This record gives sequence, C-alpha cells and structure tokens, in this order.
Amino acid sequence: MQWAWLIPVFSFAVAPVIVLAGGRLTALSRVPGGAVLSIAAIGAGFAFFWIALLGWMDASAGTESCYVAAGTEALTCNYERTWFNAGLPGLDGSVALTWGFFVDPLTIAMLGLVTFVALMVQIYSLGYMHGDPRINWYFAVHALFAASMLTIILADSFLLLYVAWELVGVCSYLLIGFWHERPAAREAAKKAFIVTRIGDVGLLVGILLLWREVGTFSMTDAFAAVQAGTMGEGVTIAAALLLFLGAMGKSAQIPFHVWLPDAMEGPTPVSALIHAATMVVAGVFLVARAFPLFEAYNATPLLVVAIVGLVTALVTSTIALVATDIKRILAYSTVSHLGLMMLSLGAFGYTAAIFHLLAHGFAKALLFLGAGSVIHSTEEQEISRLGGLRKVMPLTTLVFAIGAMSLGGIPILAGFWSKDEILQAVSQGRNPAFIVFALITALLSALYMGRALFATFFGKLPQELEHTHESPPVMTVPLALLAILAVGFGFISFNWPGAFGGFGYFVFFHEGHGFEFTWWIGILSGVMAVGAFVFTWMVYERGSISLESARRRFAPLLRVVENKYYFDEIYQWTIDRVVLVFAGFVAFFDRAIVNDIGINGPADTVRRLGVALRLHVTGHLYSYALAMTLGVVALGIFWWLITA
Amino acid sequence: MSNFDSVALLLLILVPLAGAGLMMLMPGDRPRDSWYFALFIGAISLALSVLIFARYDYQAGGFQFIRTYDWLPGPMDISLALGIDGIAAPLLLLNGIVLMGGVVISQNITYRTREFFVLLLALAAGVYGVFAVRDLFFLFFFYELAVLPMYLLIGVWGSSTDFGTFLRTKEYGAMKLILFLVAGSILIWVGILAVYAEASGQGGGTFSLEGLARMAENGRFDSTFQTLVFPLFMVGFGSLAGLWPFHTWSPDGHVAAPTAVSMLHAGVLMKLGAYGIIRVGIFLLPEGAENWMPVLIALGTVNVLYGAVSAMSQQDLKYIIGYSSVSHMGYVLMGIATLDRIGMGGAVLQMFSHGIMTALMFALVGAIYDRTHIRDINVLNGLFGRMGVTSFFFVIAGLCSLGLPGMSGFIAEFMVFTGAFRTYLPLAVLAVIGAAITAVYILRLLARTFYGTPPLSLTSTDGETKAGWAEGLTDAGVLEKSVAGAFVLVIIFVGIWPEPLMRVINVSVTTIPGV
Repeated sequence: MQWAWLIPVFSFAVAPVIVLAGGRLTALSRVPGGAVLSIAAIGAGFAFFWIALLGWMDASAGTESCYVAAGTEALTCNYERTWFNAGLPGLDGSVALTWGFFVDPLTIAMLGLVTFVALMVQIYSLGYMHGDPRINWYFAVHALFAASMLTIILADSFLLLYVAWELVGVCSYLLIGFWHERPAAREAAKKAFIVTRIGDVGLLVGILLLWREVGTFSMTDAFAAVQAGTMGEGVTIAAALLLFLGAMGKSAQIPFHVWLPDAMEGPTPVSALIHAATMVVAGVFLVARAFPLFEAYNATPLLVVAIVGLVTALVTSTIALVATDIKRILAYSTVSHLGLMMLSLGAFGYTAAIFHLLAHGFAKALLFLGAGSVIHSTEEQEISRLGGLRKVMPLTTLVFAIGAMSLGGIPILAGFWSKDEILQAVSQGRNPAFIVFALITALLSALYMGRALFATFFGKLPQELEHTHESPPVMTVPLALLAILAVGFGFISFNWPGAFGGFGYFVFFHEGHGFEFTWWIGILSGVMAVGAFVFTWMVYERGSISLESARRRFAPLLRVVENKYYFDEIYQWTIDRVVLVFAGFVAFFDRAIVNDIGINGPADTVRRLGVALRLHVTGHLYSYALAMTLGVVALGIFWWLITA
Repeated sequence: MSNFDSVALLLLILVPLAGAGLMMLMPGDRPRDSWYFALFIGAISLALSVLIFARYDYQAGGFQFIRTYDWLPGPMDISLALGIDGIAAPLLLLNGIVLMGGVVISQNITYRTREFFVLLLALAAGVYGVFAVRDLFFLFFFYELAVLPMYLLIGVWGSSTDFGTFLRTKEYGAMKLILFLVAGSILIWVGILAVYAEASGQGGGTFSLEGLARMAENGRFDSTFQTLVFPLFMVGFGSLAGLWPFHTWSPDGHVAAPTAVSMLHAGVLMKLGAYGIIRVGIFLLPEGAENWMPVLIALGTVNVLYGAVSAMSQQDLKYIIGYSSVSHMGYVLMGIATLDRIGMGGAVLQMFSHGIMTALMFALVGAIYDRTHIRDINVLNGLFGRMGVTSFFFVIAGLCSLGLPGMSGFIAEFMVFTGAFRTYLPLAVLAVIGAAITAVYILRLLARTFYGTPPLSLTSTDGETKAGWAEGLTDAGVLEKSVAGAFVLVIIFVGIWPEPLMRVINVSVTTIPGV
C-alpha cells in the first residue's frame, strides 16, 4: 500500500519518453510505440490499484502510517515526503512544501474508476486513432493526463492537489485542441482552459487562505483546525466557497458549464475519458475530499453546493433534451449528472454522490465510446442524419443501449441504484422543493437518454449509411467490459452477507450505513424511467407519437433552450464589449497618455525649447548689437529705478 | 579556501571584459571568427558561472568568494570588493546561461559582427560586476557599464516596428531606453552620494556595502533620512526593473532590440533593477524600505495587472512578450515588497525563472522572425505545421509564463503569492487574478500563431503579398533548437526540483533586514 504513489508515477514517467522516443519505437515495432508504453503504464497503475485495495483491507488503525481519520471516521493511511523548502528547514515548518498521499476509501474508489476507465479508453484509442500522424503525441498527453488525475486523487495536501489540478487542465487543453487545424477545436481548447482557470483563481485563493490560517498545506491539519474550532467561522466558510469555485470550474457547474459541450471538439475517446468519466468529476471529488470544511459551522456552504448542483442539473438536462449532436447530448447529460452529484453532496449524501460518480463514470465512458464507435464508422454525429444503426452495428447498439438505460435509471441497472441513493439523500437532507426538482431531472435524464438511443440506433437507416461496418474488436472489447460494469456495478451497494457490508460501509462520512431503499422513490423513479424510454421508443422507432404540435406550441421556449439559454452569447458579448474594450483602453492609455503625453511630451517640450532658443543665435552682427543696446538701456532703467 | 575561489569572481568579470578588448584587435571583416571567439568567451563565462554557483556553500551562507582590492583608500574608502551571497549566486548563473544562449543564436549577425560582440560582452561583464561586488561605487560603475552598450546595440542592430498607424523606429526605442535608464541612474547616484554623506557625518564615510549595511543595522541612519532617500533607489532601480509607471521604455526597447539583446535585456538586465532595490535600497535603508513597501507592493500589483491587460490587446509578438515582462516583473517587485521570507525568496526565484523563460521566448520569436519576417499575430498562423519544434518549445515557454505547475514560473509565483497572502491579502488576491489574465493573452498568442493551418499566401504589414510562403518555411536550426532545448530543461528542472536554487536563495534571504 505504501507503493500506491507509484500509480501515477508510471504514467508520469512514460510521457516524456513517448515524446522523445515514440517515433523511433513505432519504427521498430509496427504498432504505435507510444500507445504500448502508455497502455503498459496505466495497466501497471490498474494492477497497483488492486494492491492498494488489498493492502488497505488488511490494514487496521494499528498499521504504520494508518489511523482513523477525524473527519471521515474512515481508516486512512497517509504517507508523506518533503518536496522542497520555501524557507530554511527547521526555521519555519510552514514553508516546507510536501508531497504525500492518502490511501482511504475515497481514494481507492476513485483509483479504481480512473485506472480502469483510462485503461479501457487507451486500448479503444488504438483502434479509434489508428493511422493518425500524431498518435504518439496523443498517447503522451493521455499518459500525462492519467498521471495528473491520479495525483489529484492521491494528494494529501492542497498544494499537491492544485499542482495536479492545473496539469489536468493543461492536458485537457492539449487534447481538446488535438486537431488544432480545426478552428472550432482551437477555440474550444482555449475556452476550456480559460473558463476553468477562472474557477482556479478561487481554488488557489482558497488554498492560500487555508494556509494562512493553518500554517501548512496539509489537508489533515486543515480539517483538524476546523474540528478543533481554531479556524473561525468566516474563514472556514470563505475557504470552502472558494474551493467550491474551483470545483465548479472543473465540474462545469453553472455558470462555468459552457466549456464542456464545446470540449467535444476533441477526439471522442478523450471526451470519454476526460469529459465524462474522470476529469470533470475532479470538482465533485474535491468537495467530497474537503467535506469537513463544507460541513463545519452548520454546513452553510453545502446549501450553496446543493443549489448550484440542482440548478445545473435541471437547466442542462433541458438543453440535453433538445441538442441534436450525439456528443453534445452526452456532454450536457454529463453536466446534468455532475449537478446531481453536487446536489447529493449538498444534501449530505456523501456516499450516494461517490456511488453515482462511479456508476455514472462507467456508464458515460461506455456511452461516449459507443458514440465514438458510431462516429468512427459513419463520420456523422447529428442524430437527425443517423438512425437504424442497430442493423449494421449490433454490438455497438447493445452496449450503447445498456449505457443509456443504466444512466436513464432503468431498474436494476447500476444507474438506477445510484440515482436512487441520491434521490433518497435529497429527500432526507433538504426541503421538499429539492426532491421535486431532482425527480424532474431524473425524468428528463431518462427522456434524453431514450431519445439519443432510439434516434441513433432505431428507426430508419439512411441510405448512405447502409454500408457501415461494426468497429474492430480492439474498440468493442473495452465497450463490452464497461457494459458489464454499467449493468452490475450497482449490486455492490447491497448488504451482502459476509465481510463486505456494501458500499455504504466502504465510502462514508462519519459513519457507515447499510443499503436502504425508499419504496416510493424507487418505484416512482423506476416507472418514470421506463415510461420515458417507452415514450421515446414510440416517438423515434414506431413514429406513433409526433412531437410537431408540441414543438409549434412551445416554439419561443424551445428557441431559448435550443440556444442554450444564451449563456455563450452573453459571455461573448461581455468579452467583446467589456473585456476587450477595457484591454484596448489600457493599451491606448499606455500609448497615448503614459507614452505620448507623459514621456514624449517632456521630450518634445525640451526639443521645442531647444528650437526656440536656437533662434537667438542668428550670427548677424546687427542683431547682437541690438541686443546689446537693449540690454544697456534695460540696465540703465533698472539702475535708475533702484536709485530713485 | 582554494586559490580558485579567491580569484573566481575577478575572473568572471575579466573574461568577458578582456574578451571584448581582445575582439577589438581582431580583424573586422571576418564575422565567423568573431562569432567563434564570442562563443569561446561565452562558454568560459558559463562554465565559471556554473562552477561558482555549484561551489557556493549554502550551509555556510553569507558572502563567499571574498576578495578585496583597494582602489581609493582614505576618507572615500572605495575598493573593488568582490563577493557573492545566495541572492547574487543564482543571478550570476542566470547571466552565464543567457549570455551563452544569446551568443549562440547570434550567428546570423552579419553587419559589423565584431562590434556587436564587443558591446555584448562588455554588457555581460557589467552585469557580472553588479552581482559580484560589495562596494557601492563599483556597483554603480558596473551598472552603467551594463546599461550604456544597450543604446548602440539597439540603435545599430535593432529593427523598427511599422504597423501603418503605429510606427516605432529603433532609434526611438534606443533613445527612450537610454534616457529612462540614465534618468534612473541620476536618482541612484544622488541616493548613493546622500548615503555616503550621511555616513561621513556619522564619522564612518565608506562605499563598502557591508560597512554601510552594518551602520544601518546599528541605527546610525535616522529614520527620516532613510524615508527621504529610499524612494530615490526605489524609482531609480525600479525603472530598470520596469516599475509602473516608469515601464514604457521596456516594451519599446525589447521590440527594437536584436534577438540576443532582447534576451539579455529582458532576461538579465531588468533583474539588475530588482537586485539593486534589495542590495542597496533595503540593505542600506531598512527603515525607509519598510515605510515605502506598501507603495512598492501597490505599484507591483499595478505592474502585474496593467502589463497583463495591455498584453491582451497587442498584435506584435514581441510587444506581447514585452508587456508580459512588465507583468512578470511585477511579481518580483511584489515579492520584494512583502519583506516576507517566502515572498522574498519567491521574488529572487522569479528573477531567475523569468530570466530564462523570457530569454527563451525572445530566442524563439527571433527564430520565427528570421524565417517569416512577420511578428504580427493576426497574420501569422499555423506555424505548428511548419516549425514544429519551435512551436513546441514556445508552447512550453507560454505554459511556464502562465504559471503551470511543473515549470519554474509556478514555484516562483506561488511563493510570491504565499508571501503576499501573509502580508497584503487583498493585493495578493489581485495578483492571483493577474495570473489568470496571463493565461488569456498567452493562449490567444498560441492559438493565433501556432495552431491552425498556414495560409497559402499572406499580406505582410508593408503591403507585400507573398504566395506560398509557408512551403519554404523551415524549422529552427540545430543551434537554435539546442539553445531553446537547454532553456526548456532548466525551466522544467527548476519547476520539479527547485531545491538546489532555493537552498542557496533561502540562506541569504533571511539576512535581508526586515525579513
């Protein structure tokens, strides 16, 4: 278990090797050398995840470096190393920057998700990116990305977390802009980086604020200070909200959600890994990790978390319902589900949020890779130009259906159980308004999933797509493995007889709790989900229901939603009319006021003075004689005046 | 102490100086030979710098490599007193690295090559001198030696900017630069004389920095005097460090200068100003410094934000980097003004980091400009496809500039933020926002210049249309690549493992009065 830190190190180590030597390796071995290295590294990470898990299960509070954490009450193992000293060692401990890592249930759960999904995605990429001239660069950034994400998960200090957080951001930037020749990809990459960076200002300020209060960047120390009450209410709340700002940026919560749908310009496996399963959940993870801060002092920040989560979930699920690009539907559905996770955390549903995070991660990776399989074969992503693909791509259809139904909450699939846990937590932790809107979101989620499924794979196959083929096994095998999890992952939440008491006894805050099922929520959400799928089946497969009249009736409303509530337009206007105008003004100020008036002004004055004064040196005898005469007369008058 | 240590610093100053002198004796019509000779001198200087830095004993701290040569004893008490502490040591190393890089990429200078290198080496000797002396008089002497060659280097070998509505000739840039810096020098000179006079009045007239610092420590300079004189140093040295509102010479100067001079100028010369504020201002007038620090940190914050926002609306690659230097030097000034152990350490590290980073950027812009003869980011496009390695290195430099962890810039800026958070919280928050604005203009630059597909033909700013220009573009040559590669390695090395630099810096930062 003490070797858990190697999990990201494998991938960190191969990234520069791929950049420097990938081309040569490819020439040697016929398969892309970078891909082999990258997959081997993440595979090793996945193996070490099991080692860490087994090690943790063997450990107890007495094991070296392990203890029961004060915040979560969970068995936590913490290993620490000094990175460098920003001051003199021994003189001031607060400036020793350390890197260390936690092995606790939250970390282990996330490690499993990230290493597994990253492994699947990288294998899949072998097929999807086959023949791309920059395939080595692709795998190098992929490896770096996986390493950074794993570091976020393991980090035991806010500083290390921030470092990895930014690296994740830059990897995402590089991967979204992978096809940088396309202007849309270029703009999307820039947008993603800048929008998340704005949130990161909050994160960094929050981290520094905690450091100012606590004196170290250690999370354990910060949580201890909160619990001991040495950190005041105002600071705690401010720090929690600032951290949440960073989380909102990364997890694309409103109003920072605009970057995620555009990020679909990257290669589809990237969308699967980064923008569905792993990176975007970093924000949710951060809130969970810093839960002791959010929960202290009557949990005021959690109310903000809940409201932001709910608004995000609701608003973006309506956009997903009208989006026409299959990847954008999935992207908005991701934002919506991230909102649900935030809502769950905000309603004290710590376990439910992480459970849904995992279940959603498997299902969404599956959906994206399935969509990638479609795009790979058809080179089409508009659902209006797709349809009937089940006839030519049966395996992709099957796995996509599993993913869609799991996420849509069809009973006994993983998504059903995890969404149910969230709804239950919301009904217990927050007032009834929240559960009403949460249920509406769940319904919408089933509707847009059904729409994506039936519009793409069912109905009539367009003529030009008749010769489409199923994707190669290197792509479909990872899909099948993910599908198994999307179906069965929910079962780990049950109270199984024997040693394992269910997920609720593994990841928890304060105290473990067994599997609970609230019948009315379960039945209601199950019926809604099935109903929604049947409804969309009738619309898109049978064609027995037409939406045209509804469309006409709500045309103005539809236009607002189709335009994504004009968020992008408002931001664009602000950038063009406020930010750039201001920047232009400052540049003009620098040139015209500071430079031309402030600097050139005195310089010109000196020059003009010189020109003017030069005139009296005429070289003509008579002007000098005149000056002398005038001078003598003036002196005479002066003499006369003072003597008189 | 070995024999080497006692003459190391003298050698370090004399090698480039003697190199400049010898080069004047060489025939002027053999540019290649001049370049080889300059390379030779540059290599020796770099080797000496590395050796001195490595031999600096960070456990002992204090001034090392001490050697004093009497020059004007008696009441004036001026001596060529050499010695470096942990603040000067990394900056010496920086100068060695940037000088070598600058000489290597100057192989394309064909006009009056010999004279170019004479001036460049004299400038480098001046910079070494400033960092290596412990005497106020000689500090000023070397300071002037470093600044004055700049005028000729820009005026003769520089390039003018002409955007139609916006014209800046190289003569203008050179004149502006020299007027500003000389005006700053006058303030500094007045300040030095005032300090000497005050010390004489106290019965201890000397130009020795250590002697004066000891008098300050013992409270021999009264508080009013210190408060009156400190601004002379703050503004005088500050204008070389790009202190707002005395910064306008810097973008114009950077843009007009030839590549190697931009590298040395933004990379090393601006650091002389910041170094002067610490070494002369704070060490000699600690109480005055303390009174003025709120002003300095406020101006430093303005530097950060103003430089970043100005950079956002520039269209000339070099102007963007020039304003970015103004912004990044703001972090240095902020760090100094915190008078905090971490903030000050961050400031010194930022001097080093920014020196390497900005030199790298100017070197790459030089490589691009040599091939395209365009610096307008609205015209340049898709360079990645044609100049892959150059673009790759530029992206790394850009990421360092916007404070990406794993690069030297992050460590330095983070330390400045940390220091400022303990002392001036609201300004620290503004500085963090400044780092976010940096991301905006850097990404804008990268997106416009390097991504996308190269246009088939383009119209340069002088109205000339070139068809098929992109086909003929070649990537940077081996020399440029190796210089840039070396700089990138330094950036990443410091970003991942700053300890070797930090332990040297830390040991001396604690000796700064007030820290």
